[in-house]
Amino acid sequence: MMDPLFNHRRLSTRRNLLGRSTTGLGALALSSLLGENVLANATAGDRFKTVPHYAPRAKRVIYLFMSGGPSQIDLFDYKPAMQEFHGQELPESIRQGQRLTTMTSGQSTFPCVAPMFEFKRHGRHQTWVSELLPHTAKIVDEICLIKSMNTEAINHDPAITYINTGSQQPGKASMGSWLSYGLGSMNRNLPDYVVMISRGKGNLQALYARLWGSGFLPSQHQGVKFRSGADPVLYLANPEGIDPATRRRMLDGIERINRAKLAQTNDPEIEARISQYEMAYRMQTSVPDLMDLSDEPDSTFELYGEEARKPGTYAANCVLARRMAERDVRFIQLFHRGWDGHNNLPREIRGQCKDTDQASAALLVDLKRRGLLDDTLLIWGGEFGRTIYSQGNLTKTNHGRDHHGRCFSTWIAGAGVRAGHEHGQTDDFSYNITRDPVHINDLNATILQQLGIDHQRFTYPYQGLDQRLTGVEGARVVNGILA
Amino acid sequence: MIMILVLAVPCGDVPVDFSRDIQPILSSHCFVCHGPDEGTRKRDLRLDLDQIVGAERGVLVPGDPESSELIQRISHVDPLKRMPPAEEADDLTSSEIELLTRWVKEGAVYQQHWAFLDLTSQPPDAVGDQEWARNPIDGFVNEQLQRQGIEPSPEADRATLIRRLSFDLCGMPPTPEEVEAFMEDSSPMAYERLVDRLLASPAFGERMALAWMDAARYGDTSVHHADGPRDMWPWRDWVIRAYNENMPFDQFTIEQLAGDLLPDPSLDQLVASGFHRNTPTSDEGGAIDEELRVKYMVDRVKTTGNVWLGLSVECAQCHDHKYDPFTMKDYYSLYAYFNQSVEKGFQTRSGNERPLVSIPTSDQAVLLDSLAESLRLTELFLAEAQPPAEELDAWGRSERDALLKSKRPSLGPWHSLGPFGGKDKPFAYNTDHGPEAIKVDLTLEVAGLSWQSRATDKDGQVHLLNLPNNSAQYLFRTIESECAQSVKLSLGSDDSIKVFLNGAAVFANDVGRGAALNQDQVSLSLPEGKSQLMLKIVNGGGASGYAFEMLGSGLPEPVVEALGLEVAERDTVAQEALKSYFIRAVWPPGKEKVEAREAIMREQNRVNASVPTVMIMDDLPKGRQTYVLARGQYDGPRMDQPVEPQVPEHIFPARSGQPGNRLGLARWLMDPGHPLTARVTVNRYWTMLFGRGLVPSVMDFGSQGERPSHPSLLDWLALDFIQSDWNVKRCLKQMVTSATYRQSSWIKPEALARDPDNQLLGRASRFRLNAEFIRDQALSVSGLLVDKVGGPGVKPYQPKGLWNEVSLDGGLRFARDSGEKLYRKSMYIYWKRSAPHPGMTAFDTPTRDVCVVQRQRTNTPMQALVSLNDVQFVEAARNLAQRVILAEGDFDSRLDLAFMLCTAHPADQLRREVMQMTYAAQRKVFEADPESAQALLALGDSPLDETLNPGEHAAWTVLASMIQNLDETLTRE
Repeated sequence: MMDPLFNHRRLSTRRNLLGRSTTGLGALALSSLLGENVLANATAGDRFKTVPHYAPRAKRVIYLFMSGGPSQIDLFDYKPAMQEFHGQELPESIRQGQRLTTMTSGQSTFPCVAPMFEFKRHGRHQTWVSELLPHTAKIVDEICLIKSMNTEAINHDPAITYINTGSQQPGKASMGSWLSYGLGSMNRNLPDYVVMISRGKGNLQALYARLWGSGFLPSQHQGVKFRSGADPVLYLANPEGIDPATRRRMLDGIERINRAKLAQTNDPEIEARISQYEMAYRMQTSVPDLMDLSDEPDSTFELYGEEARKPGTYAANCVLARRMAERDVRFIQLFHRGWDGHNNLPREIRGQCKDTDQASAALLVDLKRRGLLDDTLLIWGGEFGRTIYSQGNLTKTNHGRDHHGRCFSTWIAGAGVRAGHEHGQTDDFSYNITRDPVHINDLNATILQQLGIDHQRFTYPYQGLDQRLTGVEGARVVNGILA
Repeated sequence: MIMILVLAVPCGDVPVDFSRDIQPILSSHCFVCHGPDEGTRKRDLRLDLDQIVGAERGVLVPGDPESSELIQRISHVDPLKRMPPAEEADDLTSSEIELLTRWVKEGAVYQQHWAFLDLTSQPPDAVGDQEWARNPIDGFVNEQLQRQGIEPSPEADRATLIRRLSFDLCGMPPTPEEVEAFMEDSSPMAYERLVDRLLASPAFGERMALAWMDAARYGDTSVHHADGPRDMWPWRDWVIRAYNENMPFDQFTIEQLAGDLLPDPSLDQLVASGFHRNTPTSDEGGAIDEELRVKYMVDRVKTTGNVWLGLSVECAQCHDHKYDPFTMKDYYSLYAYFNQSVEKGFQTRSGNERPLVSIPTSDQAVLLDSLAESLRLTELFLAEAQPPAEELDAWGRSERDALLKSKRPSLGPWHSLGPFGGKDKPFAYNTDHGPEAIKVDLTLEVAGLSWQSRATDKDGQVHLLNLPNNSAQYLFRTIESECAQSVKLSLGSDDSIKVFLNGAAVFANDVGRGAALNQDQVSLSLPEGKSQLMLKIVNGGGASGYAFEMLGSGLPEPVVEALGLEVAERDTVAQEALKSYFIRAVWPPGKEKVEAREAIMREQNRVNASVPTVMIMDDLPKGRQTYVLARGQYDGPRMDQPVEPQVPEHIFPARSGQPGNRLGLARWLMDPGHPLTARVTVNRYWTMLFGRGLVPSVMDFGSQGERPSHPSLLDWLALDFIQSDWNVKRCLKQMVTSATYRQSSWIKPEALARDPDNQLLGRASRFRLNAEFIRDQALSVSGLLVDKVGGPGVKPYQPKGLWNEVSLDGGLRFARDSGEKLYRKSMYIYWKRSAPHPGMTAFDTPTRDVCVVQRQRTNTPMQALVSLNDVQFVEAARNLAQRVILAEGDFDSRLDLAFMLCTAHPADQLRREVMQMTYAAQRKVFEADPESAQALLALGDSPLDETLNPGEHAAWTVLASMIQNLDETLTRE
């Protein structure tokens, strides 16, 4: 056997117990504390220490999710041949009758569009990067650029649900909630899974609670949204007129009465509730501390950009992501909206890059500087890419690009990832993959592996099935992107 | 400490039971490779069928484990030969191997999966304390308790019982008066009378509907992409009524699955059929219609399977089931029942999508009747009018001349102006950005923009316009005619379109769509000479474009034919065609009536638009052929594998003579002999009342699910349910009047170790209230609750920005309601499924984008933050405080009232002491800092009683908030 710790049956017995014991008694009640590691800290000793399956390389993940589908053609997947093909019809030998969205499937022509932006080689490995990403260009030696990402979905709702939950249909658990469930927390004062949303200036696609939801997993594992403003976590602040001393007095009184009730009824759920009220109280201090950037030196804002001083921006969220990583939040997910360039791609993508490039690169530099990159996975990518052909009229200054799931670019860095590597290749039209395809489930399987989890053995029984994040089609770990 | 109480493991003399002991082992270790799924089957060996017993291969030799290959292989010393293979699954444990060996020794008898066996009526052994038992349920429970040597718990006190019953049956706390009345009622019938009163309360229907809304994945929005609004609340109100009227469960099922297919269905039955229109739908621009449509059908199969069969069948969408004998063909035969729907895949993002039914109020019905009468009279005039013959003849001559010359008008080149942006699409569409009412001069600027040539645009093609979202573009050309004549235009647009002729709007269609040829047809009455023709195209989002083509004459075909004839050659049909057209389109008194008719119809449309509708089911008259879909993909129909609607007969055979549609499916489910429906349904009710199912895997009665803890009790309840004609209230009453239900929920220390999950039912369960009940309790005890049944969803307090931070285009803002709507029961909270109310989801209300039969029940810090800090709860605490201050009496009696309201018990010594201390401290705090008191008391919209002392009121508000947050308040004990 590969791993002495591997014991699938025990794991599933344990999961059976957790998944199906719904009265909340016993182990589930005691471990339902946010901040308790459901699996690894179970009180029954090492019997259930099966996750992680092997020594993890990463302790935490920061996922910079670019909602809407950034154009790989204009950012990373440089195709010099397109200068020649610009304005010419996409050859049928490339398109091969593959399905298109109905936004462009009725178009009479499919003229190829060369990027309107200059590409240059950067770093030791001479990686091509667009002029739109001057800061990312400086960190190319630190990242692994995957040019052969792919997904079957061709529209936003199914695609973004797919990459975040492993299924195009709603109802499944998101990646962050899987990790919260499996690995538990490393911090007793903050949630395991935090989500932050920022909006760009491009075409905004919808997001949905299910993208960070827990699906069939116990709902304490769902992502907690952190927001700018007075209540960084919903309902965090005391009501007006209730000062901290009053709140403390209230909680002390509630606890005394709850303890009496516990003595009377022996219901372990009461013990759990007492702990949860204390955790809520601690969060009232720990979260505002986390969100308050006033203790950041000016150098932080030089690194991330002045935008980072403005709460709610992508740049500010990147600084917060680093602060959360320092405090050992397990899974930190930023959603930045506006990458859906159907009509005015050149103008919109310029704005999107301006909003995100410096802060994304800064986050990597900052993590590295603080020694956090060694055990943090940092991922940048969207739900799909965009077409080489123009959607709508192609003019000298404007064009659009439709959704393209057959290939797109994502980068990943940190914990055990092969830095300075380009993985996979596409044809001259950035239309089909010609080498080393990486399905979105493959990437998710690889992320799990870096966290010490075998994605095939990481299951949860629900409705008679062993559910897993990476689906039933057989995802595989992409060893090529690992050091 | 985790202890699992293993029920009745056979030891020594108890024979091995296949479905209890053997099937779970085979299912989890063997079936993937040696089970029902042909795709993953190895060595052509099936261990899920009893044909293998005694077969030539010697896999299972009854009575002879040594000769049975199965036994040899599972315990083989050579890891390469040992089954299951290491890479597939773990080795069997020694006790599992022993069980299998004993099973073979005892004859290797297969049994069908327990849940598919007929219901059996087996009375409990007459053991144990007969006096304790109140009804047959207790006999079954006591039998097992006695066997394990466990005494049942004593009965809970009366106050606890009435609070438990009130929440379980009505979702509401009892009032102090109700508690007192019950405690003082010494009649032996007191308990039963209380149950009857609660079952007769309108709140009963609401409480039951809430659970059903989870199962039916009810929402006020469409889920996918824009997650736009829809109105399914009339369906939800039907459910409430059905429960309150105690509609038998078979009728309840048949009307929801197939109300539209019943003979001459009533309006109510049509509304009921909306059950499966709660399915999530999409309006995403680039989507492929069939892909979406298939998604909806898949959701319906899944939901039906979960709710009525207690089975998850969806894995057979892509491959044969790995554990249960459910093939892809079975799946698509079930799918075929739903695949007949007339619905399309791409659905609206604003309101209800067809098919739907209107449900007018009585005022609306009167108005619509009178409009229909006016319309009838107008039609009558038009049918019987006699225009002056000379005018008719003159018109006929002139049109005939024009027609014979057959001079088609000539069209100038296109020019465009714009785009003109707007804050939203209605603005872009409704606003005249400059050129709509003027005589256009192409050389002049309009609103600072000049006309651009689009001379290369060809008629009869779709042209893309590249418009920003929410903007309008004008397209202009001249149209010149040698004589007055009518022409017809064929138009397409993405999205909305208006047509102007010589500065007057002649056509408008406000739609969201992709452009294609001939989406609209418009007749133009051209005067002689040059006219100005202008289109306005408005883009709501995504792509934009238009298409234009001039068809022939604008006159209807019969009129053209008649005009082609000499006057003398015209027969009565031709004459009638000319006259009819003349009256409606040319003759002024007739045209007036036509306009009047249009006004009536507009008014009808206006009224109809305000009439609530609800989406219902409807099937294609000729049906749709269903095929097995390769790998479950919409674009992979296996033309060689057509299937017809057919129930899975290995579960229960179909009766002959039933229709091959949803009605037949519903009747099959509700057949009194069906082994699953009743078991699954009573188990769901049991779970609601006891916190845990007799079959704990409420959604899975398949071979991977758990077995019933009390199989005979489950069957007895199911049979009783069927034999009482599916009487829901009776079934619930049986359960809550049992001694089992009436036990105390306090856990004896030894029970915590022996039976932590309360599988044996030696006590009542203690569990946190549902999200809705926690909020409703706070509203009720504070006197704020507006207890009104039904109607559209309401939007009470929620934190700002939650909708637009996720909405499409980022512009959708949550608009909070005010007044009564802030204080309705929580089940009426507007359920936006991409951003549901966070105060509810914190306490485990599901998103409701898929069927959920059993809610999670978690315990998290987020919950504490909601019930301590949400303005809804703080306002309720302030009003509860006001209520107790206004009650006459001293501190202690006020405190008792607050505790009675929230927990049905007065405060004891400890509670009094804690509250007195806190009160004294808070009075000081608020008197020293009156502004804090004012700030606290200002929260929430409800009026503040200014006559109260603010320091006293604020201090009591703190106490009220504490009581709201006690475990005993949040918990149903």
